[in-house]
Amino acid sequence: MKIVGVAACTSGIAHTYIAREKVMKAAQSLGYEIHMETQGTIGTENELTPAQIEAADFVLLVVDIKIGGRERFAGKKVVEVPTNTAIKAPTKLLQAVVDKLQAS
Amino acid sequence: MAIDMNSFEISKVITPELISIDLQATTKVAAIEELTDLLVAHGDVIDRQGFIDDVMYRETEGMTGLGQGVAIPHGKSKAVKNTTLAIGISQHAIGWEALDDEPVTVVILFAVKDTDANTLHIKLLQKVAILLADDSFIERLHHIETKAELMDLLAKEPEEG
Repeated sequence: MKIVGVAACTSGIAHTYIAREKVMKAAQSLGYEIHMETQGTIGTENELTPAQIEAADFVLLVVDIKIGGRERFAGKKVVEVPTNTAIKAPTKLLQAVVDKLQAS
Repeated sequence: MAIDMNSFEISKVITPELISIDLQATTKVAAIEELTDLLVAHGDVIDRQGFIDDVMYRETEGMTGLGQGVAIPHGKSKAVKNTTLAIGISQHAIGWEALDDEPVTVVILFAVKDTDANTLHIKLLQKVAILLADDSFIERLHHIETKAELMDLLAKEPEEG
């Protein structure tokens, strides 16, 4: 399973980075390949490349606000959740998305 | 060498004066006020009430209790002179809106300057945020007994995810 995602929270100070870290760890422990961009108060970091987006099975937006560059994901399967969902239960979140994807 | 550089950087935003390992507050508001007092005394916040108002406003936008007994209230505010953080560890539980519905004993108050051009300081806060995603870090945080132990723990380089 290949995943790309974006994390962004209201103030772009803390939750963005905690959420990214939690999701990355959970994905890696499940054996998935993941790339996560952050859009925080100091701008975009770990920006996704077109190749990463192209190869992804789905896009995971862990966001509390409107993000920039959403048009990059046109035509992809996009799942959007608040940062708190990803912080609280990242593994459960990923498994639920993957289960649903595989069932469809 | 890399480790020395790192602890040097962390000490730019977190100093022992901004740590309380015996927080007296018993409520969320009182904890935010008590930590704000440390920031004011250290000269990092210039308008006490203005900063508290901004932090409380952020509280209305979503819960800042991360679960596992840790809360991260934060304010991006004109009242902040230097981007930094204050840390309070309490010997008693403090009620807080948290992802696991449990009270907290560790409160990390992020103070971010409204128009911060100093990326370095924000990167250091980011590093602390990343550490908070690590269960073993949280576990150690709950066993801190001295300010020096806390400073050492924070100087740890997060494992890149």
